[in-house]
Amino acid sequence: MKRTGLILALALLLAPTLFSQDNGGDEKIKLTVVNWAGIHEVPLTQQIVDEFMRRHPHIEVVFQPTPDAQYENKILTGLAAGEPPDVFLLDSKSIPSFNNKKVLLDLNPYVDSLGVDTTQWFSRVTDIAREDDALYSFPKGFTPLMVYYNKKLFDKEGVPYPTNDWTRDDYLRISRRLTKDLDGDGETDQYGTNFTNYFFNWIPWVWSAGGDVIGPDEKKASGYLNTETNRKTFQYLIDLRKKYDVAPDVGSWSQSGKTGIVRALFLNNKMAMIVDGHWRIPGMLDYMESGVLDLGVVGFPRGPDSGKVNVMYESGYCVPVIAPHKKEAVMLAAFMTGEYASRVRSQSRLELSAHIEVAHEMARTDKYGWEQKFLDEVEYCRQPWGSRIERFTEIEMILQDMIDEVILNDKPLDDMLDEYAVKVDDKLEHIRENASFEFKQIEQHTEVVEFLLGVTVVVAILLFILYRRAKGRDRAKTRFGFVFLAPSMIHLIFFLITPMVFSLYLSFHRWDIVVPDKPFVGFDNYIEMFNDPTFWNSIGNTFLYLLNVPVTMTISLAVALMMHKRLGGIGFLRTLYFLPSVTSFVAISLVWMWIYNPQYGLANYMLTVFGFPKLDWLNSTDTAMMSVIIFTVWLQIGYQMVIFLAGLQGIPDELYEVARIDGASPWKQFWRVTLPLLKPTTFFILVTSVISSFQIFTTIYVMTQGGPVGATDVFVYHIYDAAWNQLRMGYASAMAWFLFFIVLVFTGIQFKLVGKNVDYS
Amino acid sequence: MSTTRKPWYRRFGTVLVYIALILLGLSMLMPFIWMLSTSLMTELEVYNFPPKFIPDTWRWENFIEAMTLQPFGRYFLNSAIISAVAVTGQLLFCSMAAYAFARVKFIGSDKIFAVYISTMMIPMIVWIIPAFLLVNTFGLMNSYLGLVGPWISNVWGIFLLRQFFLTIPKDLEDAARIDGASELRIFWTIILPLSKPALATLAIFSFMNAWKDFLWPLIVTNQTNMRTVEVGIANFSNVYSTDWPHQMAAAVIVLLPIIIFFVIAQKHFVRGITFSGMKG
Repeated sequence: MKRTGLILALALLLAPTLFSQDNGGDEKIKLTVVNWAGIHEVPLTQQIVDEFMRRHPHIEVVFQPTPDAQYENKILTGLAAGEPPDVFLLDSKSIPSFNNKKVLLDLNPYVDSLGVDTTQWFSRVTDIAREDDALYSFPKGFTPLMVYYNKKLFDKEGVPYPTNDWTRDDYLRISRRLTKDLDGDGETDQYGTNFTNYFFNWIPWVWSAGGDVIGPDEKKASGYLNTETNRKTFQYLIDLRKKYDVAPDVGSWSQSGKTGIVRALFLNNKMAMIVDGHWRIPGMLDYMESGVLDLGVVGFPRGPDSGKVNVMYESGYCVPVIAPHKKEAVMLAAFMTGEYASRVRSQSRLELSAHIEVAHEMARTDKYGWEQKFLDEVEYCRQPWGSRIERFTEIEMILQDMIDEVILNDKPLDDMLDEYAVKVDDKLEHIRENASFEFKQIEQHTEVVEFLLGVTVVVAILLFILYRRAKGRDRAKTRFGFVFLAPSMIHLIFFLITPMVFSLYLSFHRWDIVVPDKPFVGFDNYIEMFNDPTFWNSIGNTFLYLLNVPVTMTISLAVALMMHKRLGGIGFLRTLYFLPSVTSFVAISLVWMWIYNPQYGLANYMLTVFGFPKLDWLNSTDTAMMSVIIFTVWLQIGYQMVIFLAGLQGIPDELYEVARIDGASPWKQFWRVTLPLLKPTTFFILVTSVISSFQIFTTIYVMTQGGPVGATDVFVYHIYDAAWNQLRMGYASAMAWFLFFIVLVFTGIQFKLVGKNVDYS
Repeated sequence: MSTTRKPWYRRFGTVLVYIALILLGLSMLMPFIWMLSTSLMTELEVYNFPPKFIPDTWRWENFIEAMTLQPFGRYFLNSAIISAVAVTGQLLFCSMAAYAFARVKFIGSDKIFAVYISTMMIPMIVWIIPAFLLVNTFGLMNSYLGLVGPWISNVWGIFLLRQFFLTIPKDLEDAARIDGASELRIFWTIILPLSKPALATLAIFSFMNAWKDFLWPLIVTNQTNMRTVEVGIANFSNVYSTDWPHQMAAAVIVLLPIIIFFVIAQKHFVRGITFSGMKG
């Protein structure tokens, strides 16, 4: 097979560096290692890898840093192809699902034979990846959640610095003391602390009060989530925002994280305390040196009964079961987490080293004394739910919705606790049912190649039948047509039709991506889909989103008509309008999240200037979709304008001249000449915008994650979640085919209604 | 088009058009300005509160650092190769297919066209895994062919050109046919030259989409030297933090080729005299 590909490739493209990988010959064992190191950590990892190769000359290691943004996708596709990296970094939240699917190698059998000393790591950290007798990863680093406090603000008010035995009452008291209206304009401009819906950040509050969100048997939330203890804890947290106003409205956690608004407030001495992990440190050190900041770090506050529980987030190096050189891979994983590697990595200050000795060394050399504060927390650290329950992210999302319901929608907390406990129960049961499945152990097998052959044969037969039906002159025409279609058709068969047919096949099967077995499940995926209320919600939202199409088309046509005039500097204006289409989406979405920020954003500023009431934009179930639509319209104007302009160029000037001679007004000319002749272009934009609106994804993924409370959960976001987060490719394919069907009907209607009479003479 | 002596109300109209366009245009400019100013700031300035637009000192060295912290030269080369192949491939293959659909109209061409259009309805996140598996099976990982694969042809482009070809008056073609011109000749000497605005549009979009693609290049490459500019930009942020000044400096540089390409291509939006000349 590889041969064929090679020949095909060479024939199509004469690129010299086509296969830069094949230069075998020597006897070295080759390993690959993957992590999500940022550019400043890449050299450190490379240094570690180089040292490993120096010590083991018979092994060659290739380090492949992968952007964090799509790290999991990358690992998953590698596993799907049966060619994962030999060693990869895994967040502890991914361990349960990878484990249940038996993807990860049990490292324990190698521990003794290779002489790996497991006592070199904090046992609490190592245990995160332990299940029964098996050990699935060697720990690299971890962090509890701490409180970072701004000493300058404490000093100004004469508030003593918190110590490790402080309580949540102290936390509230200090927050209230340090929340101030500095310029006396009636608006708070210095905040005591911050609170968002982020599960990750609030779970230690629940634990240290003696509560929990799920029972110890990991099966139910009812009776555990909706307790009096938890009610008090959540009320306490929500009061930070709603009653005492000691925490600003910074949007959802992901918006506040991406916009950096909390960081901005903190760096500018406008916020006294934040709860965060060790990873905050590298970004603070320079400012400590330059005196911009004077920070202290203190352990998590104790609960009402002086209880103290912290959480521990960890990552470690794993080896997949199918790694060809298991022993060497385990050696590498052990080295990547060993003393040498930990010491090299500790320079980055990104995390608490899982290596006990190195961690203490870090504490000894830390002139601010922060590392010691982190170490003091270790004994209180508890394993996060995410490292025990598969697909726990979905439960986190549900619980975040619960917080949103109370904070944003003013629902009563008691009711929400009961209601959402049931939702979590259902989800847990669903996850359990789905996970309890025995896969057949089969070899990696790529059916998709057979699908490619099948599709090619079917297409060839169909074309042959068409050709036979053509008679006389039509034959020549058909032959010519086929020749002209050939390149695009081959391309289409390879990249789209085969994957499409394959996904139809998958929709009747179960495929967990990382497991080669794909058992047949009949219509189960479709039945589940129709019974899922969140699925119907996402369809409703998608249809609502379609409203962007007529709005954008009207505005962009108007803009195109204005641009069509030959005015001076119009080329510059066109470029200006096209800018949003080409500017980095990261920059664009960021600016818009700032604009939409309820407390600090430009949108609300403008509203108040003109005397309108403020809106919550992306952070209200009522306005979130509208905000997304406004953003889309803005983004798409330039894009559609370019196509309209091309269409306008196709209208001969003569027709206007004739119309003018007939005495038609510009308005009449527009209706009689421009619009009818522009119809093919308009039709094209209509059809493609409707299709792409049905597929709206990136905007939602970046700006709202489907929230708040599912208000912007759209179809393809749902599909993405099923495929890449839940690893249910069969279910995702079923949804994709349902989408396909809807869009097909819609497009068919458009072709019937509008498309028919676009012929000219 | 007479440009002299417009009546006052038409000049007034022109001014209104200008004002409307410029006002809306300013909003289009905003993220770009933010990106540009961020790229010239220190991190502390980026996080200034309230946000500011003009840096205190212009840190031009951010650009040099952004380009040298990672092998951006190589990324540019890779992205340029991919985009060049994408533009060439799509202009050629899409126009051929569009011609077959719009002008040849052989038996069953409408049905085939419907199949083409229907492939647009499967979202990328669904087809990407099977497509990746195929690419992998054929040994095209870490190769330019694998990278450029999805962009060689494009149904969106075929549809766009088909719509445009439909508007070209039939009489030109008929006249040529009477003169004994072959289909190929009609395609090459009549249809294509008359479709410059549409071809320019397709060129812009194919260039832009290939240049800005992120997920596919990430999935079909393992090696840094086969990565593209967008992957390079993404590398400046991770779960813990984002290096805004360098990320935005890289984004500004990466944006320049698309803008240049757009400025060049949009000249072709202005139709040549040929069209109206031949029409008469």
